[in-house]
Amino acid sequence: MSRLPGFLRRTFSPHNEEKSSDESAPSSSPSSSHHSSSNDNDVDDDDGRTHSCATTRTTSTATVASTTTTTAPIVLRRGGSGGRQLRAVAFPPLPGKIIGGDDDEDGGEGGRGMGEGGGIDDDEYDGGKKAMGAGGGEGGGGGGIIGSSNHAVFPSSSSSSSSSSSSPMTMPAVPKTYRERQFDAILSSPIASLRELRKLAWNGVPLHMRPIAWKILLGYLPANAGRRETTLRRRRDEYRDAVRRHYDIPDNSRTNAEQETLRQVLVDVPRTAPDVPLFRDPRVRRCLGRLLYVWATRHPASGYVQGINDLATPLLAVFVGERLGCGVVVVDGPDDDGVDGGCAGIGIADVLDGSRMASITDGMMEEVEADTYWCLTSLLSGIQDHYTSDQPGMQRMVMRLEELVNRIDAELASHLRYTGIEFMQFAFKWMNCLLLREFQLPCVMRLWDAYLSEGDGGFEDFHVYVCASFLVHFSPTLKQMGFDELFQFMQNMPTDDWGDREVEILLSSAFVLSTLFGGSDAHLNVVRNTI
Amino acid sequence: MSYAYLFKYIIIGDTGVGKSCLLLQFTDKRFQPVHDLTIGVEFGARMIQVADKSIKLQIWDTAGQESFRSITRSYYRGAAGALLVYDITRRDTFKHLSRWLEEARQHSQSNMVIMLIGNKSDLEHRRAVSTEEGKAFADEHGLIFMETSAKTAYNVERAFINTAEEIHGNIESGQIDVSNERYGIKVGMNTGGGGPGAGGNNVNLRNSANAKSGAQQGSGCC
Repeated sequence: MSRLPGFLRRTFSPHNEEKSSDESAPSSSPSSSHHSSSNDNDVDDDDGRTHSCATTRTTSTATVASTTTTTAPIVLRRGGSGGRQLRAVAFPPLPGKIIGGDDDEDGGEGGRGMGEGGGIDDDEYDGGKKAMGAGGGEGGGGGGIIGSSNHAVFPSSSSSSSSSSSSPMTMPAVPKTYRERQFDAILSSPIASLRELRKLAWNGVPLHMRPIAWKILLGYLPANAGRRETTLRRRRDEYRDAVRRHYDIPDNSRTNAEQETLRQVLVDVPRTAPDVPLFRDPRVRRCLGRLLYVWATRHPASGYVQGINDLATPLLAVFVGERLGCGVVVVDGPDDDGVDGGCAGIGIADVLDGSRMASITDGMMEEVEADTYWCLTSLLSGIQDHYTSDQPGMQRMVMRLEELVNRIDAELASHLRYTGIEFMQFAFKWMNCLLLREFQLPCVMRLWDAYLSEGDGGFEDFHVYVCASFLVHFSPTLKQMGFDELFQFMQNMPTDDWGDREVEILLSSAFVLSTLFGGSDAHLNVVRNTI
Repeated sequence: MSYAYLFKYIIIGDTGVGKSCLLLQFTDKRFQPVHDLTIGVEFGARMIQVADKSIKLQIWDTAGQESFRSITRSYYRGAAGALLVYDITRRDTFKHLSRWLEEARQHSQSNMVIMLIGNKSDLEHRRAVSTEEGKAFADEHGLIFMETSAKTAYNVERAFINTAEEIHGNIESGQIDVSNERYGIKVGMNTGGGGPGAGGNNVNLRNSANAKSGAQQGSGCC
């Protein structure tokens, strides 16, 4: 990044999520002085935090009076762990169990029930409630979804009743970073500004906000917070209906092509991200197979093309993570689980290792599946001709990549030509799977924060710039290699130790390229000198 | 590492029949029960000995799904040998052989040696295509035939080497003009032709992160 011309540098704040409370304090409300005491059990802190958020709130459609809630800490209790509590530090997921009010454990009322739990400032979490609560009321379809309702957010659902009698612990405040508050402000406003959200999300979405941010960016959830709940319910119903019509039917009522698709999908699912334990979970596999098949039958122009299964994995992982409270801080009580009062969170790794899947109910899984289906549909709609006959979109992108590399790193391009390697041979996969095979999933997620924020033109163009930056990044190494070595290297791009930072550097140099090449060849010389 | 000849191979066949596993077993001598789906094409290389000559095999492992046909088609060009693979436990993969054969013949040079491979022979209890059927199909179409198991390594070595022997025979008999690149054969240079990093013989470029590069001809390989 340091090599980038300053005037072009996209404002990166790569580690906002890790910003300490002190860093973020100056930009927060007057009560921010409380923030530094992040680990004591001072309700004021929490008060301060919610207060600071409330300043960003505009109007509200919530049913709960905020005066009764702003002073209450937001505490989630995870079922069966006694003093162990979950704390929603930010925008969704919403607590399935809220302390300080009469919790509606039965879940019969769906999204509404969540609001009535009290103890939470519904205003600022309005969007989240809409997003998350919708599962509740729709119990009609399939046994699995009934009863998942209110508990949709956290794995606590099935067991939380048993622990509801234990007295809650007052939660220490975990201050939000400035960045989280920015997200909060956008996501909780009655009409989320898509433009603002894109700008912010391009630079990375905090873990726990990623599910809702992606859903909005992909157009699955409307910008209008007041319509999210009904939208979500309607779409999940639609998906359930599609499954009923396309998937849950006897084989003899499928066409030959459909039978072939089904067979193919079922063969491919176990081969999808086989090294990620989450995708070895039988329920996750079933859900992946079903949604891929339904997608394929409803998009006959392309049908199921291998690689689409890969594209579903980040979405699925993010939405499973949502239900596990990924990114939400867990505060341990001093008792039964042997950990004293520490703070721990569920990270992406905890989601991907699949070890917590037992706490996801079938109903949650069904909703995760529907969400993934719709988001995948939206993602693919922008790149449909990548997967239609002869894959014209893919060919176009590989050609563009080659052109671009010719311009920005002529030496590398000529070396590749000299060794006899063709772009189509290595870059086809980069296009077909959007670099998913080149990175670990957490990096892909960070990459997608930017992709999904690319706006109306979609990310297709930008992806080519990312691929070019990616290739050129390894230019010095590649130029030393002959054909065999080159191919070996490109089939195992050494990115295992990459994290957000590396991805962000990649993104920023891709951004520079996209700026310089935005339809003009005139700046080629500049590019040569800067990359 | 110098070689007398370089033969270019292509592996084709329906998706999931074990093409990538065959390649991995041949180049790395190991079996990976769950292999990533191949997208586009993967690549592997290994040196073998045929009639006391070192021969380098450069193997293109193609994606089997129909959708990728337009991409994989180009790899027939300049291939000296093809391994056409089906899965003995899945009859449909056998039924599609004619289609594959037609495609291969249409896009390749006429002297390409085709080896028909019935893979997964270790799954005898699930067999859906008999050895005789495979043999009959091969005879009818003038292919070499073998059943293999990428899992147990049964016949894997033989399949790749027999194909090379056949190609080598064609060179010796003058049927193939090695100076013409379209036959998928290069004559190696014994001195100084190796590119950087000439080292070990076996390279599977996808799976063995530490494998050293095989010999690299200065003028490129394709």
